Amino acid sequence: MGLRTEVKVSWCPGCGNFGILRAFEKAAGRLVDEGIPRGRIAVASGIGCHGKISDYLRLPSFHVIHGRVPPFLTGLKLANPDLIAVGFVGDGDGLNEGVEHLIHAARRNTDITIFLHNNNVFGLTTGQVTATSPKGAKGKSTPYGNPENPLNPCNLMLVSGATFVARAFAGKHSQLVEIMYSAIKHRGFSFVEILQPCVSFNDFWKIREEIHDIREAESVENALRLCRDKTACGIFYRKEEETFEDAVHRINK
Amino acid sequence: MFDFNVCIAGAAGDGVKEAGEILAKLLSNMGYRVFVYQEYESLIRGGHNASVVRCSEKEIHSHRYYYDAMICLEDYVFEIHRKRLRGFLIHDSEFECDFEPSFSVPMLEIVKEAGMPNLYRNAAALGALCYIAGLDVGDLAKIFVAEYGDKAETDTEIASKAYEYAKENCRRVLTVLRISEGDGKVVSGSEAIALGMVRAGLKCYYAYPMTPASSILHCLAKKKFALAVQPENEIAAIMMAIGSAFAGKKSAVGTSGGGFALMTESVSLAGMAEVPVLIVLAQRSGPSTGMATFTAQEDLHFALNPAHGEFPLIVASPLTASDAFSLSATLLNMAWQFQTPAILLTEKHLTESYESAEFDENEVKVNELDIFDSETDGIFPRYEITENGISRYAVPPAIVKANSNEHDEFGITTDDAEMATRMYAKRMRKEDLIRAEAEKLEPYVCIRNGSDTVVTWGSNYGAVVEAAEELGYSVAGIRFLRPLILPEFKGEVVCVECNYRGLLAGMVEKEIGKKVSRILRWDGRPFTPEEIREALSKGR
Ligand SMILES: Cc1ncc(C[n+]2csc(CCOP(=O)(O)OP(=O)(O)O)c2C)c(N)n1
Ligand code: SF4
Ligand SMILES: [Mg+2]
Repeated sequence: MGLRTEVKVSWCPGCGNFGILRAFEKAAGRLVDEGIPRGRIAVASGIGCHGKISDYLRLPSFHVIHGRVPPFLTGLKLANPDLIAVGFVGDGDGLNEGVEHLIHAARRNTDITIFLHNNNVFGLTTGQVTATSPKGAKGKSTPYGNPENPLNPCNLMLVSGATFVARAFAGKHSQLVEIMYSAIKHRGFSFVEILQPCVSFNDFWKIREEIHDIREAESVENALRLCRDKTACGIFYRKEEETFEDAVHRINK
Repeated sequence: MFDFNVCIAGAAGDGVKEAGEILAKLLSNMGYRVFVYQEYESLIRGGHNASVVRCSEKEIHSHRYYYDAMICLEDYVFEIHRKRLRGFLIHDSEFECDFEPSFSVPMLEIVKEAGMPNLYRNAAALGALCYIAGLDVGDLAKIFVAEYGDKAETDTEIASKAYEYAKENCRRVLTVLRISEGDGKVVSGSEAIALGMVRAGLKCYYAYPMTPASSILHCLAKKKFALAVQPENEIAAIMMAIGSAFAGKKSAVGTSGGGFALMTESVSLAGMAEVPVLIVLAQRSGPSTGMATFTAQEDLHFALNPAHGEFPLIVASPLTASDAFSLSATLLNMAWQFQTPAILLTEKHLTESYESAEFDENEVKVNELDIFDSETDGIFPRYEITENGISRYAVPPAIVKANSNEHDEFGITTDDAEMATRMYAKRMRKEDLIRAEAEKLEPYVCIRNGSDTVVTWGSNYGAVVEAAEELGYSVAGIRFLRPLILPEFKGEVVCVECNYRGLLAGMVEKEIGKKVSRILRWDGRPFTPEEIREALSKGR
C-alpha cells in the first residue's frame, strides 16, 4: 500500500504544495523501504493550505491548530522517542502565529523535522501578507503595500541553534527529496524552508531560473551568509548535538 | 479539646515559611492534626510574610482567625496582626512591641554569635517557642535533622541557645503535650495533586511557572515521578501534553488564570480530537495579574466554559489536601476513560497550604485502558461512531489520524453535513456517561447538622465545616462542578465563596429555583471558621 490516502487533493491546480507532497512521499517511502514501519513516521500539520497534507498521507497524523505544530511534536517525541516526528508548517502558521515555538524547538534541539511551506502569503485566508512577505508587497490587508520587513526563516533558525537548516524549491523534485530525506535522518532539530509558489495569491514559479545550489557551510556564520541569498538552495548547515529528548531522559533517569 | 493557633510573621527572606513547616511537622510528630496557611507577597526580599500554624486533636482543614501565640521577626509586621493576637507574643529584642504578655528574645544576637546570617533567626524563634509553649526542643532537633540532614546542626545549636535564654528570662505559658507518636507527615495541596496524578499513571507534566501552580511542577521535577518539563509558554505546555497523550502517555498541565487563558484554544482542540489531558487550574486573585500570591475562586465560569465550540469537559474541585490526591487521580482517569479534557479547579489556599493528610492509594483505582497500539495497514477507525460515543483509543504505530477540523470516523477532514451532525453528536453523547460516572463518585460531600445548609467549594470547606457544625448548619462541599450534581436542600441555602458575585451560588439558584444567600470575599484572603461563624450569625 502506498503512502497516499484516497482523499481527493483540494489544492489549486499548479500549487507548489503538490511538489512537496510528492517529494515527501518519495523521502518517506525510502524510509519504509529501509524497514521503518509506516506507523512510526508521525506527522503533524498546521492550519493553512499546507495543513491539508495530513489528510493525504497514510501515516499517523494530527492536523493541529494554527501555529502549534512544534510543541505538539515535542510532546509526542518525548512520550515515544521511537517515533519519527515530522511537521508541515506554513509561513503564516509557523512564523506569524507560532514563531516562538520554532525558536524554542531549535534552541532545545528537539529531534523533530519541520518543513516550512513558504509561499510568502496566507493562502487559505485568501491572500494577506505574512512574516516572510517583502516590504511593499500588496495583499488584501495591505492594498497599498506592506509596511513591515520580512524575516529570513533560515537565518532565524540558524541563530536559534537549529542543528540542520536547509532550503529547497518545491519545483526541484530530486533535490527536495534528498533534502527532505536528510532532514528526517538528522538526529536533532531539522528545518527545511521550501519555496512554495501559490498560483492563486503569490505565483513565483518563475524563480526556477534563479534557483542555484550552495555547498554546505562549516560554520553557522558562513551558513548565515549563504542563506541571505533567497534563491540559494541546499543544506546550509548541520551538526550533531545531544537532543532534547535524550537530555530529558538522561536527567530523569 | 486542645487546639493551638500560632502565627509566625516577618519579612520575605526571614525563613517564615520554613519555620511554619518545621513547627507543623513537630506538632504532627506529637500526634496532632495540623494545618498551615502561608501568606506572602509577590516579592523575594522584604515585605510581609506570615505562616499560621494550627494544631488540634480533631481533624482540621483550616487555620483560625485568632492567634494563641505569635512570633514576630520584624517590627513593622506586628501591626498587621495585632488585632488577631489573643495570646502571647515572642519577638526579637532588636525592637519593641507594645503588647502584653510578650517575650523579648535576642534572636539576632544569638544568630550573630553563631556567625550565621539573619535567616537563622527562625530557628532561634522556634527554640524560644519550645520553652514558652512547653514543646520538647529535642524533638525540634529531630525535625531539623529530618529536614536539613547534615546542615541541621547549626539550626539545632541556635534553637537550643534560644531555648536556654527563654528558660532563664521568660516563663512557660502552656505545655503542649505529646498525644501520640505522629508520623510528622504534613503535605501541601500541590504535593497531594502531584502524587494523585502519579498514582493514576501520569507520565508527562508540562507547566510554565505561575503562582500558585508552580509548586506542583517543582514537586514533580524534584521527585522524578514523571517527566516534568517547563516549555516556552502555556500554549506550548498544553500542546506538548496533547502530543504526549496522542502518543499514549498520560499527561497533564498546571497553571493559573492567565496561563489557562492562553491554553484555551488547545482545550477546544483536545475536545474535538478527543485527546485526554488533565489541566490543573490553580486560581489566584484576578482579574489580570491581580494579587499574584493570594487566593480566589473567580474562575469558576471560565473553567466551566473555557473555549469555543461545544465538547464534553469535566471540571471538579477538591475540598482538602487528601481530596486533592484522590480527585486529581480520578480526573486523570476520567480524562482517559472519556477521552476528553478534564480540569482540576483549585486555588492558592489549597495548593500552597499544608496539612496532615493520609492518601489512600487503594481508594483510587487506576483504570485499565484499552489502547490499540499495533501497526495497521489501513487507517484506524479512531472516531468510529458508537452508541455511547466512546471510540477505541489508538496510538502510533497504528495509523491513527487526529484532526482539529471536523472529521469522519478515520479522522479525515470533512464538512459533510450528515457526517458533521453524527460526529458532533457522538462526542456530545459522552456527556451522559460522564454524568453517570460522576454520580457514582461522590460528586459532593454532605454533612447533616440541621435543616439549613451552607454550600461551598474548594478549600473554604475546612473553615465552613467548623463554623457550620457550631451553629447547626448542614454542609455541602461540591466536588463536581461540570457536571454539577447537587444534594437535596431542605431549608435555607447559604453559599460561601471567594468571589464577588457568588458564582456557584448563582448556579445553585438556577438548579434549585430559589434564592441562595451569599457569604463572599474577594480580598485574596481565605475564610477562617470565625469569620464564617460571624457572617452566618449575622444572617440569622
Ligand atoms: C488561531 C487562528 N487564527 C487565525 C486562523 C485563520 N487562518 C487559517 S489559515 C491562516 C493562514 C495560513 O497561512 P499560512 O500558514 O501561510 O498557510 P498557507 O495557507 O499559506 O499554506 C489563518 C490566519 C486560524 N485558523 N486560527
Ligand atoms: S491558495 Fe495558494 S497555497 Fe493554497 S492551494 Fe491554492 S495555490 Fe496552493
Ligand atoms: Mg503561507
